[in-house]
Amino acid sequence: MGVLLEHLPELWQGLIVTFQLTAASFAGAAVLGVLVCALRVSPVRVLRALGTAYVETLQNLPLLVLLVLAFFGLPEIGIKAEPLVTAIVVIAAYEAAYIGEALRSGVNSVGKGQGEAARAIGLTFAQSLRHVVLPQALRTVVQPIGNIFIATTMNTALAAAVGVVDLTASAQRVNLVEAQPIPIFVGAGVAYGLIAAVAGFVTGRLERRLVILR
Amino acid sequence: MKRLVAVAAFSVSLLALTSCGESSSPAVPGVSPQKSDVLAKAPVATAAEILPGSTMEKIKQRGELLVGGSLDAPLLSQQNPATGEMEGFDADMGKALAKYILGEPKVKIVNSASETREALLANGTVDVVFQTYTITEERAKQVSFAGPYYTSGLTIAVKKGTTGIAKPEDLNGKKVLAGANTPAIPAIKKLAPQAEIITFGSDPECIQALKQDRGVAYVQDETILIADAKKDPSIEIVTKPFTTDPYGIGLKHGDEQFKKFVNDWLKKMQDAGAWQEVWKNSIGTVVAGEAPQPPQIGSVPGS
Amino acid sequence: MSTVLFDEPGPRARRRIRVATVLGTLAAVALVVLAVRQFAANGQLDAARWQPYATWPMWRYLLDGLWSTFLAAVVAAALSMAFGLVLALGRVSPRPWVRGPAAAYVEVVRTIPALLLVYVVLFALPRYGLDLPLFWKLVVPLTVSNAAAYAEIFRAGINSVERGQTEAGLAVGLTRLQTMRLIVLPQAARRVLPSIVSQSVGLLKDTSLGFVVSYGELLYSGKVLAAYNGLLIQTYLVVALIYLVVNASLSKLARMLEARQRRNAHA
Repeated sequence: MGVLLEHLPELWQGLIVTFQLTAASFAGAAVLGVLVCALRVSPVRVLRALGTAYVETLQNLPLLVLLVLAFFGLPEIGIKAEPLVTAIVVIAAYEAAYIGEALRSGVNSVGKGQGEAARAIGLTFAQSLRHVVLPQALRTVVQPIGNIFIATTMNTALAAAVGVVDLTASAQRVNLVEAQPIPIFVGAGVAYGLIAAVAGFVTGRLERRLVILR
Repeated sequence: MKRLVAVAAFSVSLLALTSCGESSSPAVPGVSPQKSDVLAKAPVATAAEILPGSTMEKIKQRGELLVGGSLDAPLLSQQNPATGEMEGFDADMGKALAKYILGEPKVKIVNSASETREALLANGTVDVVFQTYTITEERAKQVSFAGPYYTSGLTIAVKKGTTGIAKPEDLNGKKVLAGANTPAIPAIKKLAPQAEIITFGSDPECIQALKQDRGVAYVQDETILIADAKKDPSIEIVTKPFTTDPYGIGLKHGDEQFKKFVNDWLKKMQDAGAWQEVWKNSIGTVVAGEAPQPPQIGSVPGS
Repeated sequence: MSTVLFDEPGPRARRRIRVATVLGTLAAVALVVLAVRQFAANGQLDAARWQPYATWPMWRYLLDGLWSTFLAAVVAAALSMAFGLVLALGRVSPRPWVRGPAAAYVEVVRTIPALLLVYVVLFALPRYGLDLPLFWKLVVPLTVSNAAAYAEIFRAGINSVERGQTEAGLAVGLTRLQTMRLIVLPQAARRVLPSIVSQSVGLLKDTSLGFVVSYGELLYSGKVLAAYNGLLIQTYLVVALIYLVVNASLSKLARMLEARQRRNAHA
């Protein structure tokens, strides 16, 4: 326990970075995910293909490979950003593929009649998606999206590979100096657990508030 | 083009090496960087030296020496993907020890993440560790060290044209690159506490990061940095080594019999000139001049 | 659902789509050309930097790594599926003292990064005298974390089987265990097969943590290669390509299974 208190400033800094990574990349992933979902259900074949290609590529590459490749590769084509920014963008792009797919399954779970009704009263594709389908789809995917949020938190640990000192990396650095792995790693694990517990609580509440009583 | 120059430089240095090897020791013709020749001078133990019931007898019966080492340390212990063979100073020393015990250089490299070497030795997964294993009194409580067999140290590399970095203390307040889990991290923390350390998983990644200005300096073992600077002319080394790291051969803690045996072998290697051959074939391919004086065996606290 | 949201585009819409497609493609091509030119200007396209990957030994080395990736993934998948099944059965058990621990395990493990588990096995366990061989240093943490994921998949499958099935089984005199084994599980397994395959693709991707452990899987082999030839970007591009091809094939398999199942369900 003593080690944790002694190195609290470093570990706290790591936790803040983990928060930043999680919050920023999840927000980015949410926006991008809606876009990906819209592409995948779009009326235009080219756009659908684009959406499929995006999901297929991002879901089939390990995040670690994507991170390393983006961090070292992008500067070679003239795009260079801070490690933290690179990590946020890559994780957001990666998780967007999963959010897009979750949303799409939500869209598909909305009753056919809803779409037909929306079209019948003259809404366009974008309008029916925005006013009728997506709001209903969102309710069914609160739980899966909550799981993706937890997965995003876990995945931010990989940002250490591109030099970001997040909670896992700072725990490992403290361990290099103090060589007391058990309290350090258990402490870090508890912190992650708390983040996930909060996420679980929030999604539970959201689900209850959004659920439609039929 | 860059690569072509590097290859040319490399072959020139090889040429220089072969010629100087030939002139200095005409008794052994054809000193060329080929494995069979490198170990030509390496000794073989007499039957009497393999004491009954000893660790070396166990190894002899197994017919293979189990060595803890790395696969990705160029010049020291690097796997050649084309042949699958291990190349480098540490790797060849391991082979030479195998030859001493078994009569032939039969080794099996057990890839050990550096944190776990003590455990690998303690539970007998490996017989010896050749892996830039710095002898410290702290470590000597958990493992026995034969040697030291080589001395190196950390130094600093920068992109050519960088000014204002001449000693470790200059790193304060700057972004400094280092390999994850390497001794560079505690060393920087001690000498330049205000430096911001950025770590990456491997040496090529650190080099790439240095070239992309992710940090102004890169702290790493001198041997590795010399090799990097040879490969890539845009990088230069700015200091002499600022630490002294005597590398030891890690052995199971308390196995004094085996420790003496390995120290005797090391002495014979140095006397026969085999140590020097191994050096020339690996580190000597990038460092100009003759092989250095090997460190005095048992000269370091903990060895 | 998605097909009822729009009508087939008419002639004017089709023309607009065509124009937009052409313009979009042109813009994309321009961007790519710009990127590739910059890439080449930095010397990353030099023949000498790619030449090694036109030779067989480099590929053989990477394919060896791929084989190790498969090995680790298959062993970890088998173990974590078995463990996950036990956990899932625990979670649907009527006995609270079985249900509680199983639920606690799943809920806790689900929230710990696999990398942190790897660090525990890599750095913490050896201090307490437990130093696993490299292979298991990768497989054990992957098993621990994926077991929780598989458990949730199996549980969803078990819960998706109608209650009447269990009741019928009990009614004809089967024990609870027999009902589970003979009636519920076979149906559940078929329903969750696609999720199992996609989780297994995820597990295969997770084996890239071997990079941290120094287990010689695909990404670590790439690391060794890059240390040998200094071609960092080229090496990782090739590694990424291999992952892409392998995982895309597995995902395709998952979709085929799903489609076949839907057909069977209708029949």
